[in-house]
Amino acid sequence: MTEPTAARIDGLAVRDLHVARGERSVLHDVRFDAPKRAVVALVGPSGAGKSTLLRCLNRLHAPDGGTVLLDGEDTAALDPCTLRRRVGLVGQVPVMLPGSVRENVAYGLDPAAAADADRLTRALRDAGLDADFLDRTASELSGGERARVALARALTREPELLLLDEPTAALDAAVARHIAATVRSLAGAGLGVVVATHDLAFAADVADRAVALRDGTAVSGAPAELLAAARDGDPAAHAAATASDAVEEPGT
Amino acid sequence: MSRPLAQLLASAAFVLAAALLAYRQRLNLSRSLLIAAARAAAQLAVVGALIALVFRVPALAIAFVAVMVLTASLTAGSRMRALPHARRIAVSAIALPALSAVGVLLAVGAFAATPRATIPTAGILIGGAMLATTLTGRRLVEGLADGVDEIEARLSLGDRARDALAPLARRAIAGAMVPLIDQTRSAGLVTLPGTFVGLVLGGASPGTAARVQLVVLLTLLLVQLLSALLTAELVTRAATLPGERVLAL
Repeated sequence: MTEPTAARIDGLAVRDLHVARGERSVLHDVRFDAPKRAVVALVGPSGAGKSTLLRCLNRLHAPDGGTVLLDGEDTAALDPCTLRRRVGLVGQVPVMLPGSVRENVAYGLDPAAAADADRLTRALRDAGLDADFLDRTASELSGGERARVALARALTREPELLLLDEPTAALDAAVARHIAATVRSLAGAGLGVVVATHDLAFAADVADRAVALRDGTAVSGAPAELLAAARDGDPAAHAAATASDAVEEPGT
Repeated sequence: MSRPLAQLLASAAFVLAAALLAYRQRLNLSRSLLIAAARAAAQLAVVGALIALVFRVPALAIAFVAVMVLTASLTAGSRMRALPHARRIAVSAIALPALSAVGVLLAVGAFAATPRATIPTAGILIGGAMLATTLTGRRLVEGLADGVDEIEARLSLGDRARDALAPLARRAIAGAMVPLIDQTRSAGLVTLPGTFVGLVLGGASPGTAARVQLVVLLTLLLVQLLSALLTAELVTRAATLPGERVLAL
């Protein structure tokens, strides 16, 4: 081991994570920290295992080796449903459940929380939607609105960390910028965020630190260097990476 | 000309006419038509002989019903091969409701406890249970494959695996029951159901035939609903993994 593992991280700590699919290793020796109040960008080409890694963090996928600690506790020992409420995942496809936006954002909450209009509207506002969206039919929303409802739905659980899988995949640049601002302000309010994205400009916009997945393992560092290394000669990505020089260095 | 000979000649002539027509129209179906007809003839001859034997040796009736359950389970099980224990699921979902219903009907004296009455009744109920199991199972397998995003969204919001699968299970049951309910609703209007036709041809009065048919149809509704519910429950269990996760298909 090259880094100390004993230090208790306030947030998620991934240690020597290993995932195989049959004989093939998908992820190996993945180590990084995702503390609260910080945004970590998980970058890498599609197929690099970003989604699989996110799904290991809320145990939708059971890793084949290694541990994921939440506030120093092994997540494998926590009740999965409690873990998933504390560590919310917004999937790549913003699935709308049947019914209204209200039914979506209140889904699975206990009756008192579901009836708490403040809680629901606060989550919607944090996700960039007005309170009058509550009574809209979820299936009639646009792609961008669905993405926001999916985000609000995770936020009503008042999670400690949020995992976002390609949140800008279906969005135009303006909406992506808005989502980036939302994510930054949520982190400012104490939330830890891990955002998997192939969009390097968005990653540079949003992240305090970056973790690049390369050949199945993780390389962490400041977004600027990693993004510059990952840009693969893409001028737009290069511009974005250079523009992110102002972002603070990681705390390790 | 005797009646059996007339029946044989007429049906053979009809098959040959169909094959000839298909050949003339170059449908490339003649071979399949003739093979299907030959298979049907052979199968029915064997079944006829077997049932004649069963009528003489009632103990064989149990073996005969067991073979029906097994065949139905293999057929339904093959429709949900993607799942672990597909065959075991199919056997339970078919046998429990169908055989319980046969037992109740015999116990209350709705049918005589003879092979002659029991075997056709069991056959219809087992066939109906097979249909319900197949339809529900296929929809569940499709839902597990296509609906994985929705299931994972529910899991990510903190649902137990069983709760995350419940909407899919309910949709599969409802989807399977609709054609079965339609069939019951149109009985006698669109098609004359098999029991009715059989009894009338066998010499029963239309009134008796209608009454027996009604018993069969109404029993089928419950049997099929129970088969669908049982399939959904067993598939939900088979698709639930430790750690509140769901089998990816």
